[in-house]
Amino acid sequence: MFKLDRKLVTIGTVLALSSTLTLTASAADESVYKSKPGAIDGGVTYPRENGNYTAYRYNEQSTKGVNFGRPATANEIKAWDIDALPDGTGLPEGEGSVELGDELYEAQCAVCHGEFGAGGSGYPQLAGGNMDKDENGVIITLKNQRVYGSTDAPKRTVGTYWPVATTLFTYIRDAMPYAHPKSLSNDETYAITAYILAQNEIEIDGEEMDDEYVLNKEKLAKVVLPNRNGFYPNIDGPDAQENIRAFFADRAKNIGAGTRCMADCKDPGGKDGKTPPGVVEIKYEMSDVRPPYAYAKDLPPEKKDEAAHPGKKAYEANCAVCHKTDAMGAPAVGDIQAWATTLKHGIENVYKNTINGKNGMPPKGGTSLSDARIKEIVDYMVSASK
Amino acid sequence: MNKTLEVKELDSVSRREFFKKTASVSAIAATSILVPNTLIADDENIMHHVKWGTTLGHEVNRDPYGVPALYEHNVVRRTSPLMSSAGDMHAAISMTPLADISGIIVPNGLHFTRTHNGVAQVDPNKYRLMIHGLVEKPIVLTLDQLKRYPSESRILVMECPSNSAAEWKGPQFGTLQMVKGMMSCAEWTGVRLKTVLDDLGLKPEAKWMLAEGSDGSEMSRTVPIEKVLDDAMIVWGQNGEALRNEQGYPVRLMLPGWEANLCVKWLKRLEFGDKPWYAKEETSKYTALTASGKAIQHFYANEVNSVITSPCPEKDWTDLQDGDIVEIEGLAWTGHGTIEGVDISFDGGKNWTEANLKGLVLPKAWTRFSYMHKYDGKPLLLQSRAYDDSKNVQPTVNQEKAVVGVEGVYHRNAIITWKVTDMGKVSNVQIRS
Repeated sequence: MFKLDRKLVTIGTVLALSSTLTLTASAADESVYKSKPGAIDGGVTYPRENGNYTAYRYNEQSTKGVNFGRPATANEIKAWDIDALPDGTGLPEGEGSVELGDELYEAQCAVCHGEFGAGGSGYPQLAGGNMDKDENGVIITLKNQRVYGSTDAPKRTVGTYWPVATTLFTYIRDAMPYAHPKSLSNDETYAITAYILAQNEIEIDGEEMDDEYVLNKEKLAKVVLPNRNGFYPNIDGPDAQENIRAFFADRAKNIGAGTRCMADCKDPGGKDGKTPPGVVEIKYEMSDVRPPYAYAKDLPPEKKDEAAHPGKKAYEANCAVCHKTDAMGAPAVGDIQAWATTLKHGIENVYKNTINGKNGMPPKGGTSLSDARIKEIVDYMVSASK
Repeated sequence: MNKTLEVKELDSVSRREFFKKTASVSAIAATSILVPNTLIADDENIMHHVKWGTTLGHEVNRDPYGVPALYEHNVVRRTSPLMSSAGDMHAAISMTPLADISGIIVPNGLHFTRTHNGVAQVDPNKYRLMIHGLVEKPIVLTLDQLKRYPSESRILVMECPSNSAAEWKGPQFGTLQMVKGMMSCAEWTGVRLKTVLDDLGLKPEAKWMLAEGSDGSEMSRTVPIEKVLDDAMIVWGQNGEALRNEQGYPVRLMLPGWEANLCVKWLKRLEFGDKPWYAKEETSKYTALTASGKAIQHFYANEVNSVITSPCPEKDWTDLQDGDIVEIEGLAWTGHGTIEGVDISFDGGKNWTEANLKGLVLPKAWTRFSYMHKYDGKPLLLQSRAYDDSKNVQPTVNQEKAVVGVEGVYHRNAIITWKVTDMGKVSNVQIRS
């Protein structure tokens, strides 16, 4: 009896399944799940109803009254709510001059972002792009496209690309210097912000930012960066979210979309929009990957038993950012030749240069470690480069 | 005929050569080749006891947290100095080995990861989440308190909007892993943001949410309220365990289908406001510069996309013989809804045929597709083209380029082409003008 029941149930399921399949096949256009078009991102949304959300079930019982955690105190909110809006709301008190910013920048920023913000070490370029505009107010160099033989890249610096200056302040204060984020005071951050704006030839209220120029929150809020109108859809004002919705609704026009052509499809393109496509192969394969490509199903090579050098950890935390490779002009750890050159005048000289700073490297590499710790790190770097 | 045995005898390339020659010389149809038994050596793995069958294995809990088989040690995430600043690997990205992933769940150790100031190591005892701004009750939660909220789980794709960014101006990388590996799919568990907000009382003038991370980069992004109230989550679980550090342990924001960058890791603060913030990662970066000289901002959802994972450069067809029936398999995904179907082309996009979906078909998740193919040794230009229930169809390189140019970095979803040679080798090419 039990067996028979099960058999019947099975047959029923199969029948139900096959009818579902036929339905699905006959209405191929219909969505997989009941969906509603018109989401802000251009996509669809799905209803949560009767305990079902697409293929998922959910607990329909009310979650009213579910309430954990505790009220945030005013001081706590003050401590964490330090973001700033483009109109300057939220910027802290404080001030800093271009001149002080220059000093701070040279000591803490130039090593990655280059002299005067000009880049060069592989880290983002901050200044030095051409900000000239065409008749429609578009920065001309941003139209550069490296295609069809053209080689000039668009430069995305603070002056040529960024829309608002408050971001520059919060970026520096919250996330810079790269290896020691949140170590700058508000005054220092205003100073570096002022320096970078000055390098981008930004004027505030028609005033050029010379060395004596002192930036504060009122002045920063007045900055209008050259590319302020270089972004779309419009995200400001009461209609912002409807603008966004309309933009993403028309993807074929605004971001590119395909068509479901099935046979004898044509796909012209190119500069004239009429050139038939061809097969483009890799010209220079980027094959420098870490770890290197390997596909063998074998046992891993046995690891060498490296006794950790006492300076290794501090090196990794403080120095590896610049010394791991030679990309920034610093002798790379492991580069035997480079370190032989570095050691030409003896280890004491290396200690001294490390503690006092040399070339792009600030004193003690920008750290506040003791001389003894610095020497320990140097010892590690030397030992790892033999 | 046992193929495993033959491989012992001839390597794959010479084996193909052998069959090609045999076929042409003796004019035997490739499908019906039968190798005389005398040509096949007995396999010593069958003829003799294997080592693991004659020795005691490891103790049951030798690895209290299990590890993959040692022989799988080459299945790892890979990165490239070209995708970092000056080779520095703190602000860099590491890609999932897609060719070795089966199904739609990526194991946590292989989930792609992108960091802007290194992988933060958060002490869960010191972890706090603040929710404030335009809410009636601003609150602070510990991790334990957050996890008291009722949870839901979703299988969701997480994709960096830079996925394939190196390919805008032409093909550059030679493997599936590096071409498309800035994405993974996992089951994420957490609380719907709406459930939390129902109690906190969102004020009607709240239009935007700022999400901020606690790591050194203080990653922050602005999210429109509609998404927050639709399917946004605060998640702490990844494939059954706590989030990995690389995924924002102990808590990250989850905005299903949207740029992984918006799914802020090491989540510290959610603030509700009436204006967008213009955070650094939605102005200086994560905006897509087009040929007009203007850039698309607030570019939320990752578009409909697909890629063939077998064959691919890492998993080629050099071991096939003419007449073999082989599965073409791949992944399709969309941030806009659910995958409805995938078409396959063998001739670089001139003609297309429908593939079949297989396995779970879930919104904003990887969806597997499959097509049975009779291999005939002819060169191919293999492509896949996905479409979804928001009426999105994956564009050709030309179609996408015509609208946004080649300097946008983000949101590339153009059709990918694998060139298959007559020897079964597979390489990354592009069909474009």
